[in-house]
Amino acid sequence: MYRSGKIVRMNTSIDISHIRNFSIVAHIDHGKSTISDRILELTHTVDERDMESQLLDTMDIERERGITIKSNAVRVSYDADDGETYQFNLIDTPGHVDFTYEVSRSLAACEGAVLVVDATQGVEAQTVSNATLAMNANLDIVPAINKIDLPSAHPDEVKTEIEDDLAIPADDAVCVSGKTGEGIHDLLESIVFLISPPKGDANAPLKALILDSYFDEYRGVVATVRIFDGSIKKGDTLRMMQAKGDFLVDGVGVKRPAETPVDALTVGEVGYVVTGLKDPEAVRVGDTLTWASNPCPEPLPGYREAKPMVYTGLFPIDNKDYENLRDALDKLHVNDPSLVWEPETSVALGFGFRVGFLGLLHMEVVKERLEREFNLDLIATSPSVDYHVYKTDGEMIDVRSPQDLPEATRIERIEEPYLKAKIICPPEYTGAVMQLAIEHRGITTDMIHLTSKSVEMRFDMPLAELILDFFDQLKSRTKGYASLDYEFNEYRPSELVKLDILLSGDEVDALSFIVHKDKAYGLARGLCDKLKEIIPRQLFEVPIQGAIGNKIIARSTVKARRKDVLAKCYGGDISRKRKLLEKQKEGKKRMKAIGSVEVPQEAFMAILKVDE
Amino acid sequence: MAVTALYVHVPFCAQKCRYCDFDSRSFAPCDLSAALDAYFEQLFARLDAFGKAGALDQIRTVYVGGGTPSLAGERLVELARRIRAWCAPVEFTCEANPESLTAELAAALAKVGVTRVSLGVQTLDNTELTAIGRIHDADRALAAIATVKTAGLDVSCDLMCGLPGQTAASWKRTLDGVLVAAPHHVSVYPLTLEEATPLYLMACRDESLEPDEDFQAACMDMARELLGAAGYHPYEVASYALDGHECAHNIAYWTGRGYLGLGRSAAGMLDAEDFDRLAGLFPGVSSRGDAHRVRLVQRDDDATAFEAEHLSQREAAAEDLMLACRMTRGVASDLLVRAARVIPADELAAACDRALELGLATWVPETFGVHGGPFTSADVVAGHVRARLAPTHLGWLDGNVLFELFWDLA
Repeated sequence: MYRSGKIVRMNTSIDISHIRNFSIVAHIDHGKSTISDRILELTHTVDERDMESQLLDTMDIERERGITIKSNAVRVSYDADDGETYQFNLIDTPGHVDFTYEVSRSLAACEGAVLVVDATQGVEAQTVSNATLAMNANLDIVPAINKIDLPSAHPDEVKTEIEDDLAIPADDAVCVSGKTGEGIHDLLESIVFLISPPKGDANAPLKALILDSYFDEYRGVVATVRIFDGSIKKGDTLRMMQAKGDFLVDGVGVKRPAETPVDALTVGEVGYVVTGLKDPEAVRVGDTLTWASNPCPEPLPGYREAKPMVYTGLFPIDNKDYENLRDALDKLHVNDPSLVWEPETSVALGFGFRVGFLGLLHMEVVKERLEREFNLDLIATSPSVDYHVYKTDGEMIDVRSPQDLPEATRIERIEEPYLKAKIICPPEYTGAVMQLAIEHRGITTDMIHLTSKSVEMRFDMPLAELILDFFDQLKSRTKGYASLDYEFNEYRPSELVKLDILLSGDEVDALSFIVHKDKAYGLARGLCDKLKEIIPRQLFEVPIQGAIGNKIIARSTVKARRKDVLAKCYGGDISRKRKLLEKQKEGKKRMKAIGSVEVPQEAFMAILKVDE
Repeated sequence: MAVTALYVHVPFCAQKCRYCDFDSRSFAPCDLSAALDAYFEQLFARLDAFGKAGALDQIRTVYVGGGTPSLAGERLVELARRIRAWCAPVEFTCEANPESLTAELAAALAKVGVTRVSLGVQTLDNTELTAIGRIHDADRALAAIATVKTAGLDVSCDLMCGLPGQTAASWKRTLDGVLVAAPHHVSVYPLTLEEATPLYLMACRDESLEPDEDFQAACMDMARELLGAAGYHPYEVASYALDGHECAHNIAYWTGRGYLGLGRSAAGMLDAEDFDRLAGLFPGVSSRGDAHRVRLVQRDDDATAFEAEHLSQREAAAEDLMLACRMTRGVASDLLVRAARVIPADELAAACDRALELGLATWVPETFGVHGGPFTSADVVAGHVRARLAPTHLGWLDGNVLFELFWDLA
């Protein structure tokens, strides 16, 4: 047990029938995190005095934003009313559309899910989509009606909704309060009885799923795994079946929630494996681990190489930080294998990298982590997708950066990635969603009434449209009720053009953008106006122009700054005056000099802020 | 180098102006008198401590600012008398607000050796005065100017541009009106919204209250034109004077000379030698180490707590360059040559070049009648050519860029 930092090695062998692997899923703000915390508390996994709310979200960014980015698995011992001790593995899953793949891998490691529904709000769109995900993964579902301590709670109506809208037997529903702890004991009992124990053969060759991994400077890559057959102990030589590499196990353990070494991880269990591997690329989420000497015949199904959807340029504001940025990306890549990059050079921004992300949230999170954890000041440029450009000479090239687009005369056609997007929302929002999809070049392909409260709409839509502000717009136009899921469909030809931006008459490559020709004019105008707001006034006038090829299609002007002087000096307090100057200068540090124009970081992402 | 300038702070006002974030308190009239008595007692004690330490021997200029010193009435006269007992300044300024400057007070001040009154006129438009929370009106301000002149004192007017509701026409009326009243000196300050002041908070809700920089620049231009035509020459960013009436005390601030601060929130600046001599007057201030210059701000009423800033020789030089850029005459070649002893000459020349390149400053030869060929910044910094680096029109209005360029050399 883990108590006040003291680690005691424990014998963990437990009968497979006494293991329960589950995750907790919920609509946003329905109380997933507080319930997780209560479970840890009630099972004495964490002392009350050590309790920090939302224990499972370990990164600063996760706590600040209230989102889960990385999967996390915590082991809990539960002494049930039947006198037996059960091992619970609580697997936390990311909650954003960018991380759908991680969610699917996490769910694949579970036999059950606790579906949290707010007793005051009832079943909502995300409840439906989460329940669907869990049911599609063949998980046993334990509905938990939360916040029953609130006066406005109506658990009986919510039970009816669960039965009607989700087709889950309402008798199974447990009424709880994450706040007071009421009903949590019943919930733990339900987990024991409703969720199936894992199946598997302890004596068969090892078959284990990698859910997650992170890099530890001293121990190398540490992988979180779920064992389906066999067992892992220190000294075993293991093989990664997809990545095709072997390593010697340096140690195994479980999180309670602090890392606690154990003798072995055996069938049905979840824990971590210290691989000692120094190459972050070697270990991939979704890969299958087996014994090198006696491998299992088939890897686990569902492995997919995490494919980046969005590419942006990342440039250090200070060019001297280029090497540091490369090292930082290397380090982050270890527990974020979906991250890919290649060097990119910009006339305006110097040396940097074109980095591939799962989505824009992923991009923001990575950029923020790079800036915070590695103390870098970065500029991110407008996001792009991977375009297939067919040149007149017959060659096809991948273009992930507007700068790489060949001259218009040398392009035969451009194809862009299309998605199959699935949106689930209450019926009253179908009109708004349809409108939004049309604005984003989406084509409705199907519409199904799932229940009286939810409609599933399917669209074909260009990925480029989805990566900008689609998800935020969807949330705001449906008051947060809609959920979005998408997968890559195919490449389709599109009439795309490169929109260039000129500052003081000089083209700034880092501000270029590939856009559908019908949207080019509106976007150019919007972008010129937005840049005018973002770029501060300078000593001289700065004309901003939007152009396609040699044709100027939009313009605006940042007027020259006429006055910037600290005139008043109170009683000779010159320090105070200098401090004001230094404050101003601090602001300028976050800007990039493009020619003689000082351009703030956010200008390069202005495209995301253009209201169409 | 002995200290030649003394600043005294009087942090009391009848009513605080909406834009002001400087240290000043307002009291109900019944409490004000007692608060002033207590405060002035502490000023007198501190003054005597300075005097006994020999700190005041060489004082040439005195400036009593606020707050509203004129609010102190007879106490201000007593203060001036006591200062005079310790030194013989050639310039002695008191700040005053029109509503509290009576003819009696002006005469009494003149009698004890005050030479100059700086009046907070701000504008001659009554609506604008109300909008910024001033309690006098235009007639009162003009009368105050006349009163000071009658008392035989020099008078300076503070004016502000970019006030809520101010227009080019109203600004011109203010300038014209002030010129008719004919003070000796005028200061023109563009309004800045300081965080947490009432006006700042009002502007957060009503954008129209936020001063427009273009308008302020136009006002500053107009002031320079009208005042210039009337014989007031601009000698500093905000200051205009008839010949011979420049404020010597202010010039001391911009030319790196030491000064003493007396009273709560008053700032002083001492060079190493003076600080070592007077360190006993600043309890709790850490030893200067190898600092070349120490700046001190008194943090309480009874001079027991100070905020100190220690500047290295290089920082002091960069500060001098920065401050010199505020003066219309700019950075003298002597200062450049002196600075080059502690700041690498190539960096210094590069900063000058950058100022020229941006159009913020220009070289003006200091020696007349000497025909020289073209020269570079490096030549001046090396002392081969004598020229001063004077701010241009752009360098005046966008002075911060210029200041930063030189402070960056620290």
